[in-house]
This record gives sequence, C-alpha cells and structure tokens, in this order.
Amino acid sequence: MNRVIEKILISTNIIFVMGCGNISKPADTRVKGGEVVVDFSSKMMRDNLLQKGLIDKNQIVFGYRAYKIPYTTTDEHGDEVTVSGLFVIPTGVPSSISKLGLSMVSDDHGTIFANDDAPSVIASNSGTPYGAPILLTSLGGFATLQPDYIGFGDSYKKHYHPFVLKKSLASTTIDFIKAVKNFAYNNHILLNNQLFLTGYSEGGYASMATLQKIEEEGELTVDMAIPMAGPYDVNLTAYGVLSSSKLSVPSFMADFGYAYAKAYNKDVSTVLNEPYASILPTLIDGSKTREFIDPELSYDTTGTTGLFNPTFVDSFFKDSNFWFRDAVIENTVSNWSPKTAVRLLHCQGDDVIPYAISQITEAKMKGMGAEDVKLIPIEKELKLDHNLTHGECGEYAYKLAIRIFSKIREEKFRY
Amino acid sequence: MRKILVVTIFTSSLIVAGGYKIPEQSLNSMALGGAYVAHTTGADSAYFNPANMIFFNSDKNIMEEGLTFVHLNENRFIGQQRLSPTDIYDANGTSEVENKSIPYFHYISNPIGNFRWGMSLTAPAGLKKRWIAKPNRYTIDTSELENAYQELFAKEFTLRVSEFNPVISYKILDNLAIGGGVRVIYSEGEVYNNGNYVNLPIKREMQGNSVEYGYNLATTYRPLPDINLAMTYRSNVDINEKADSRDTNLYIGNLGKQYSANVKIPLPASLNFAISKTWLDRFSLEFDYERTYWSKYKSLDFNYGSKIPSALVEPFDSPKIKNWKDTDTFRVGATLKKDNITYMLAYAKDETPIPKEYISYELPDSDANIYSMGLRIDINDNLSWGVAYLHDEKDDINLKAGENKNGIIGKFSKGGADLISTSFSYEF
Repeated sequence: MNRVIEKILISTNIIFVMGCGNISKPADTRVKGGEVVVDFSSKMMRDNLLQKGLIDKNQIVFGYRAYKIPYTTTDEHGDEVTVSGLFVIPTGVPSSISKLGLSMVSDDHGTIFANDDAPSVIASNSGTPYGAPILLTSLGGFATLQPDYIGFGDSYKKHYHPFVLKKSLASTTIDFIKAVKNFAYNNHILLNNQLFLTGYSEGGYASMATLQKIEEEGELTVDMAIPMAGPYDVNLTAYGVLSSSKLSVPSFMADFGYAYAKAYNKDVSTVLNEPYASILPTLIDGSKTREFIDPELSYDTTGTTGLFNPTFVDSFFKDSNFWFRDAVIENTVSNWSPKTAVRLLHCQGDDVIPYAISQITEAKMKGMGAEDVKLIPIEKELKLDHNLTHGECGEYAYKLAIRIFSKIREEKFRY
Repeated sequence: MRKILVVTIFTSSLIVAGGYKIPEQSLNSMALGGAYVAHTTGADSAYFNPANMIFFNSDKNIMEEGLTFVHLNENRFIGQQRLSPTDIYDANGTSEVENKSIPYFHYISNPIGNFRWGMSLTAPAGLKKRWIAKPNRYTIDTSELENAYQELFAKEFTLRVSEFNPVISYKILDNLAIGGGVRVIYSEGEVYNNGNYVNLPIKREMQGNSVEYGYNLATTYRPLPDINLAMTYRSNVDINEKADSRDTNLYIGNLGKQYSANVKIPLPASLNFAISKTWLDRFSLEFDYERTYWSKYKSLDFNYGSKIPSALVEPFDSPKIKNWKDTDTFRVGATLKKDNITYMLAYAKDETPIPKEYISYELPDSDANIYSMGLRIDINDNLSWGVAYLHDEKDDINLKAGENKNGIIGKFSKGGADLISTSFSYEF
C-alpha cells in the first residue's frame, strides 16, 4: 500500500489520470444541497492506475465521486459568508465496509492564489479526480472534505482570503464538516463518527486552528489531527520574516500583510509599501497564480524598495503595544494543549516554513501538558536519503498521514 | 408532423464525392457522372442548369421523381493514433457500411413568354461516418485486434442536408439564356464521440439543425444549334448547426452535463464550365470542369453556451484545423439515343479537398475515379423511366509518422461508394 501511494505521488504529483468505462446517458446528478462534479467508477480508476503502472493488479481501488457543497460560515468579524467545499466519497465499496460508514478526513488545502486552484473549482472545471482525495478516497477509502476557504469557490471576489487567520480558517473547516454531515444524511451517505484532520502548509495551520476551536466548542470529536508543515507559531514566523533582509516568496508575505490589515481594520498602506499596497488587491484577486504575482512584488523585506512599510516593521520590533504584535500572538496556534492525539509532520529540509516551527510547537504543547503530541520528521520516517523542500515535501507528507489514519481506522473498525 | 416527415425524407446523409458534396441529384446526372451541365434534357435542368429550361421544345410541365440507393463501403484503418508525445495507441478499426436511400424531385413549369420557372428538392451534401468498436473483431488485413480508437473522434459523424431550390430561366436571345434561384438549405448534424483522451474517459453527444440560404446562377450560350456552352454557379452556404442544451451532452467518467452548442461548416461554392456537342440529334458528348471552393473550410470549431470542463477543452472545444483546398473535377459523359431508349456512360476524376496533414476519421477522403452508366426508356410521349449506376473508387491513404496534424499514423483503405438511381419523368 505504501509503495503504491508513493509511486502514485511521485509519478503524478497527485494530478490525476483516468481509466475507461461505458457511459450511455447523463448521470442523475440531482442531490440535495450540492452538486455532483466528478464521478468515476472504481473500474475507471483501477484501469487507469493500472495502465499507468501505478498500482499492482491486486490493489483495491474505489470509485471517486465528488460533490460541490455550498454552505455558510463566518469571517474574522463574525459576519456570514457563503462559501463552498468539495466532498469526495469512495464508490463501489463492499457492503460489509459501507455498513460501518465512511471515516472522514478533513483536508485543508495549502496556500493558493488563483480561484481555479480551489478544490471545488478544479473539480467543477475539469470534471476529473485531482489531488489528495485520489489517495485518501480511491485508495484509502476515506470520505475526504476539502473546504475552498473564504475568498475562493463560491465566495470568490466577494471576500478577501483570510490568509493565516485562525478564526475564519477554523470556522470555514468546522462549518464544512457540519455541512457535509448534513449533506450526507440528506443524501443517504453513511458516515461513521471517525473524524481526522489534516492539511499542508496553510492547510496545516488551518487544521491546527480547527482542532483548537473544535476542542473549545466541544461539539465535534476528532480521532487524530495531522497538521503538516504549517506556520503554527505566527508570532515567531512574523519575527523571522520581518527580521530577514530578503523574502523567499514575497506573495506569501504580501498576502499575509494584506489579510491582517483587512482583518484588523488597518489601512493596507500602513503595512505594505506603495505601489504594492495599491496593486495587491488586483494581484491577489483570485485570477492569478503565484508565478504571476511574485515578479510584481519586491523581494526586499523592507526599506524604501522593500515590500513592508519601514514604519510598520520598526513599530513591530519597538512598540510592545503595536497592533500587529497582538494580532500574530492571537493567531498563533501552537501555544495550547490539545487533548486530541496530534502528529506534526514536517520535512527537515523545508525552505519556506522552517522545521523549527514544528519543533517549537511540539515543545510548547508538551510543556503546556499535552500528552499525545509528536513531531515526525518525514525524511527520517520514510528513510529518505535526502532532505525535501516545502514544495517537494507535500506528497510524502500525505503518504505518511494516510498510513497513520488507516492504522487508526483499522484498530477501530477492522478494515 | 407533415413538415418533419418531408424534411426527413429529403435529408440525406452520405458522402459520394470529394468532401461531403453530392453532385448527382437525378438519374441523368448520375448516369453521366455529373457531366450534365451544358446538355440537360429533363426536369432536373432546374437544378443543374436552370438557364437551359427555357430552351426546351416542350411547352408542358415537366417533372421527375426518383430515388437513389447508396451503398457506402467500409473504411479500414491500420495504424496508430498519437494523442500526445507520450500517448500513442494502436488504432486499428473498420467503419460501418452505410446503406441509404435518397429521394429527389424536380419540376419545370410550362413556358410563360421568355420565362420558365422550376424547382428542385435535393440532397446536395451529406456525410455519415461511424466507427464503432466491436470487441474481439480482427482486421482482415493484419489479423490484429481492432480497438476502434476512432470512436473518440467519430463514433458517429453525420451531416444531413436537403435543399429546396426554386429557379427561374429567361431567354435573352434565341441562343442565350440565363437562370438563377434561391437555395434554401435545411440541415441536421449529429456528432457522437466516445473514448479515452489521454486516459480520460470522455464522450460527446450533439444533435443540431439549421436553415440557411444561398443562391445559384446559370447561363447557356448556343453558338451553333448543336453546341452548348454553359456556366453555372452555386453560392457558398455556411451551415451553422445549432443545438440547444437538451441536445448536447458532454461526459467525463460517469458524469454527463448538458450544454447548448453550435458548429459551423461550409457548403462550398462551386463553379462549372461545360461544353456539349450533339451529332444527328442522337449522340451527345459533354465535358465538364468544376471548381469547388472548399478552401472556405478552415476549421471545425464547436462552441458551447457555457464553459465546459477544462479536461474536455482540447478534445471537444479547441478548433480542429481543416485548411481544405479548392478542388478541380473533370467529367466526360456520352449520351446515345436510339429509338425509345437513351443510353448514358461517363467517367469523372474527382479530387479530394482534404490535405493529408489534416485528414481525420470523420472523413478519410481521397481522390477518386468515378464510373457511371444508365439508360432511360420512353414508355410513351409523356412518361419515361430509367435506371443509373455509379461506382466511386477511392485511393488508399498512407500517413507517415508526423505527416498528419491529427496524429494519425497508418493506412486508410477501402472506402468508396456504389449508387443506383431510378426515376420516372412525366410531362403534362
């Protein structure tokens, strides 16, 4: 199984491939509260994966049916926003397993800038399986939940994306879990109560924020959370970035500064230098990918030619009452003690979110009394002979997460 | 209901000439392989050269009604289909044999001074090509298993066209006449695709129709009583097949969605120059040159009413380059009238408009030699009956790797067609 997943991840970069099948008339896509956007039978999935040499002929492969589900959540200010998410279920599941219900994996996606990269948008536009749900659902047999986040999908161009802001990211995820449960009930999809949380990069941060809010609210129960390579300690991240002379990925930090200014009702030009403050709303309006945004921004952190306003940076370091200091502390998700089992997956060669962030998070949580938090260095766990960058690491991180989730499910449901 | 029946009866779907045009629309025209422009003798003059109508000696109404049976041979393809540099598949396949019957009708009124009017109901163009996978069928040529990859491109590609063509003729001088009319074109198109595109199971179903208009012109000059010089022109008509959202389905995997759609293809203009000479009122010889302006057909571009899934854009939405070329067709036909029987014999060399680099499965057309013959028997002064046969023999097409822009590598063989037509002519 692990070898299979690794082959698929490496070979396809989690972008999907298809099989063949007989189709004679339009499928009945009527569902209550959502829309079928992808539907591939287990035979199609299996034929294609076999054709590509990505699975063994004895490998069990499930079908892939994806629904786009609209729902309502709240933003940083508590205002309601209509958003959307992608819910993917395996089809062709043996009745002995389906009677037990599907275990859910809430998978928060990483940083995106283009609306076309949002999970439900990709599915609607391409009509094909894509990304982590291929592994989680078609090979793993999990129901996969991927919220688009505020600013993407149904809220595209209606709301800015609250980048690394914990309240709205957590709300978006939790409200989607609830919406999916309701959707599944209305459409006779049997789910069990096993819920896992995961996500990579911004998704890692979002999944940690989600877990924290779930534990605060007490309404849902999480079996395990596996946040991966997230900037959990936003305070530390801000110090690290603003004290560096150069930015490795200016679009990330520009989005970060923009979202915080909007969330805390500050003028964007007090955070970012001109012309960046003025052009940023257009650059990150969801129509462009990061590759088009970065060249328009400065790679200098601050100064007259830099991205961040020098006054903003100066205040951050010198003024203990500066609003941004409070904001990054408020949005840090590493300084609490989760009761749920947490596995922090991170690559030691991460060049965007330093591995040290996860080390510090593990240490803080344990120091605050958490009993089941563990950092797993991915390269070491997978016995790789080289370190992986942030971009390379995601595929391997998912591989490991699925292995862990599958083991826990097997312990509980014996499949 | 009646309207639908009429349309259905007079709508053809085949291909017997270069491209998808069907020149033969009457018994005489088929027997003479289309060498029937300068020396036209029946009600079918309304279609082939309306200028000639006014030269008829008869002052009666003339009509012809007939039926053509068409047998389209299968196309065989042995070779590969390249979809991308890394996706090359065996694509052996055999298209379906098609048998169709097409009625036609021509009418010429009695003369009114120097005028005469007429009308024709014909099927001037058509195409039907079906590549349907048959499990475990082996090609005869190679004993290789067929997979009919062509289903992806043309599980069925059908174009049915009918034309209502009212015309008028005017005699300017005793040896010079002109004619012309309006072309009312009704068409129906059906496209079905089904297969894998770069490992993606996809399918398209589309049914559309359209009504379009054009015109035709003709002139005949008789320098001597037994010599006819004629020129005819039929205008281009762009057929814009429109399908509403109930008639277009696109599928990926198990999921189908409905779209409105349209696709435009030209019914090309054609220009004919012909000369005929008659000896002793019994034997006629006609030479005909036809220029068909297929270069109007630049691309086949399906447009959809709303955005389609990105995975389907390349196979189903991106324009398919055609870049067809204008063609020349040369025809020679002989007519011998003996007692109450008219014998006809002809040969034509028909050029395909399709460059090898743009040949596709829906129309693997090649140059053709056309042989035809027929006879007409006068039963009495007012009634005649006849039969004609035409054999259309297509050349094989060999496509080397890299030669075809649609990624086809291999050999098309067979093809061609056999037609039999029978009709009654009546004067009253």
